[in-house]
Amino acid sequence: MNKQAVFADGFWHNNAIFAQLLGMCPLLGVTTSAENGFWMGAATLLVLLGSNLVVSLVRGVVPKNVRIPAYITIIAAFVTMVGMAMNAWMHEMYLILGLFIPLIVVNCAILGRAEAFASKNSVSDSLVDALAVGLGFTMALLLLGGVRELLGQGKLFGFSLFGESYPDVLMFILPPGAFIALGFILAGVNLINRQLKRRADVAKAEAIRLEMVDKSRMSTAVEVS
Amino acid sequence: MKLNREQMQMILALFIVAAISAILLSLTDMLTREPIAQAQRQALHSALLQVLPEHDNEVQDDLLEVDGRAIYPARLHGRLTGLAWEVIAPDGYSGSIRILVGIHPDGHVQAIRVTEHKETPGLGDGIVHNKSWLDSFHERGLSGVHWAVKKDGGDFDQFTGATITPRAVVKAVKGALVFYQSQQIKILDQINSKTAVVAPSAAGGGK
Repeated sequence: MNKQAVFADGFWHNNAIFAQLLGMCPLLGVTTSAENGFWMGAATLLVLLGSNLVVSLVRGVVPKNVRIPAYITIIAAFVTMVGMAMNAWMHEMYLILGLFIPLIVVNCAILGRAEAFASKNSVSDSLVDALAVGLGFTMALLLLGGVRELLGQGKLFGFSLFGESYPDVLMFILPPGAFIALGFILAGVNLINRQLKRRADVAKAEAIRLEMVDKSRMSTAVEVS
Repeated sequence: MKLNREQMQMILALFIVAAISAILLSLTDMLTREPIAQAQRQALHSALLQVLPEHDNEVQDDLLEVDGRAIYPARLHGRLTGLAWEVIAPDGYSGSIRILVGIHPDGHVQAIRVTEHKETPGLGDGIVHNKSWLDSFHERGLSGVHWAVKKDGGDFDQFTGATITPRAVVKAVKGALVFYQSQQIKILDQINSKTAVVAPSAAGGGK
């Protein structure tokens, strides 16, 4: 399979958040700041790499009827490992995100990739897919976390941008702000996609027109001669 | 009951997946157990440094137990300069809040730090980041201070949009002071009868 197409699909066209609207729980729960969003995305990316790798390794070995419990066991194992590693080497971030790390198990974006992609594709394709989907997820969490931190507290990555007098805007700190910000981001993504499509359409139309001009010139040339 | 080939295959597949997961998990546990213990010790160490006055003893090895509480004494040249122990506020906005309270031997607060909480990020977690709020506990004792948030007519600020969290912390810190007042003689007796564990780097001390 074309790796570039796999990546573009996982990162943008079928982005877990922007296109599929999966994984809303961690999205709404942890994106109160850009840093929290980034590390939650990174943890999810690691789990995705692990689960996609193992699922694509055991594809064909695990019978169809028991594939879901098998996938969930694999995902849960990787989530626990990532949680332990974070607790050991990123203790402070673990204290903040600790509550949400175990919930990665039930992030349906991960089971979705195991079921829809890794169980049907080669190991290398599955790793590219995991990387693309994980990075797309991280990008979405980082973006939403940044917007909420900026509007809610006037900060970005913990640095004050508008001075200390910026009043906390409660709505953006609490979950409703996540919904509202996500709505505007989705609108923006749709706008970009429409623009891309229009540009592609214009290019296509231009190609057809040129072809027709060519043809009519040729026929005129034939008439003149 | 006899299992057919297909059923055997299912059982075998799940067994293998579970076994691999178990091996991976125990390997990770072996790798991370020591760093996790160290990280927790380090976190406690830096919290103790922040809540206790100047000292030259190895506070974490010097601890004593009174009424089931682990109390860390701070000593400078063998003289007691402060005490710290952890209190739990069970009535946070979402779950318990663990607070390390450091006090002077005379019963005034030196400083407090939150060591564990599940409060709303950006709202209730001001109890961790809000420096001036944390500083407002400095030198407060039981007498002459109304231990409640301003909304309840007390002396301590609440946060915009978060009253329950600071209310729980204020109540828990007051509880710590009340505990100290009632147990002061017992605690000081225990501390004075014990030899200080001096930090390897520091000279002198030791009673």
